[in-house]
Amino acid sequence: MGLNYQLVLWNKHKKTYDKIIAAGMLLYIILFAATTLIFNSETSIETLVIRAFGSLAIIMLHIILVIGPLARLNTNFLPILYNRRHLGVSMFIAALIHGGFSMFQFHALGDVNPIYSLFTSNMDYGSLTNFPFQVLGFFALLILFIMASTSHDFFLGNLSAKVWKRLHMMVYLAYVLIIAHVFLGAFQQETSPFTIGIMVIGFIVVASLHLTTAFKERKIDNTKTEEKNGWLKVCHISEIEEDRAKIFTVENERVAIFKYNGKLSAIHNVCKHQGGPLGEGKIIDGCITCPWHGYQYLPSNGQSPPPFTEKVATYELMLEDKTVYINPKAFDEGTEVKPCNY
Amino acid sequence: METIITVFLTILGIYFTIGLLFGLYFLFIGATKIDPLMKDTKKNVRVLLFPGIIVTWPFLIGRLFKSKTT
Repeated sequence: MGLNYQLVLWNKHKKTYDKIIAAGMLLYIILFAATTLIFNSETSIETLVIRAFGSLAIIMLHIILVIGPLARLNTNFLPILYNRRHLGVSMFIAALIHGGFSMFQFHALGDVNPIYSLFTSNMDYGSLTNFPFQVLGFFALLILFIMASTSHDFFLGNLSAKVWKRLHMMVYLAYVLIIAHVFLGAFQQETSPFTIGIMVIGFIVVASLHLTTAFKERKIDNTKTEEKNGWLKVCHISEIEEDRAKIFTVENERVAIFKYNGKLSAIHNVCKHQGGPLGEGKIIDGCITCPWHGYQYLPSNGQSPPPFTEKVATYELMLEDKTVYINPKAFDEGTEVKPCNY
Repeated sequence: METIITVFLTILGIYFTIGLLFGLYFLFIGATKIDPLMKDTKKNVRVLLFPGIIVTWPFLIGRLFKSKTT
């Protein structure tokens, strides 16, 4: 949120995270280089750089892919999610160094255009064991470039959240391409069960965390409820923590029902910024605060406090015998709804 | 297969060339027309946005035309 765009929206916490990311990357490169020089001293500098940054990018991509589901399963991971954008751009830089050095070493020293050379130096596209795996890496890098270059609020606002989200969901396609790139490339020569095992375990962790989150969310969406004169029963009021919300699905839309200062208010669960789950956030300074990037909304009308203009739909609540009921019909975005007192 | 590769890389090249040309216009003139926040945005931020504009130019051209017709 701001009145003009900044280069990077740094704050004290983000600076700390960025220092941790930079230190972690540097430490990994040093350790990788030291290990390679000890156990395989004949490795050239170019090969060392290619392998170090390639493996670093893969490790970072795995971390990036598990942050989302981990944050949905345990709120302790939310601070990492908050800084995921910087981790993504750092990962792209590592992948770019890997790709750039590979391109230079294998394709830039001849008289053919390096990109054309990448696609045509090995034309064995029908083979599995001799597949031109570098092409897969090229497409993965292209996707990572699209994502990294649009990782700014300008694009979120001007491409629309829907288009932006779709572009960034391509990370899963990049992940598949990278897995294939590694298995059809490096692992054709790599015989170490340790390295291959790490990659397989990484895939299993990413896949199982996503499946667990999907099952958890499906459970919320499929919750059966009672209807009373057009109102849907949500839960007993004690089931909602103070300054927190319960997420409830009405007419295929998730709604966040917040409890605060002796009042209850309900708004649409999806943040206008990056589609974050508002119901997993909390009330800070009287505002519903998105757990992903801190966008704020007033509970009674779903509007961001002035001068900001984001708005989400609101819902009407009713309390009867300490049981919360919701009117499934959503009001227009930003509509004032009197909070339900308890 | 070589023909497919040549055609694909030519299309990719054209896409990025258009993006580059559009990006130069959009960065300093067009962006302000569709996004008021760009008015007070510094030059270094605009440079940071440049690669993304090259990539997403079809969407941004759409936005630019939409803003002219409304």
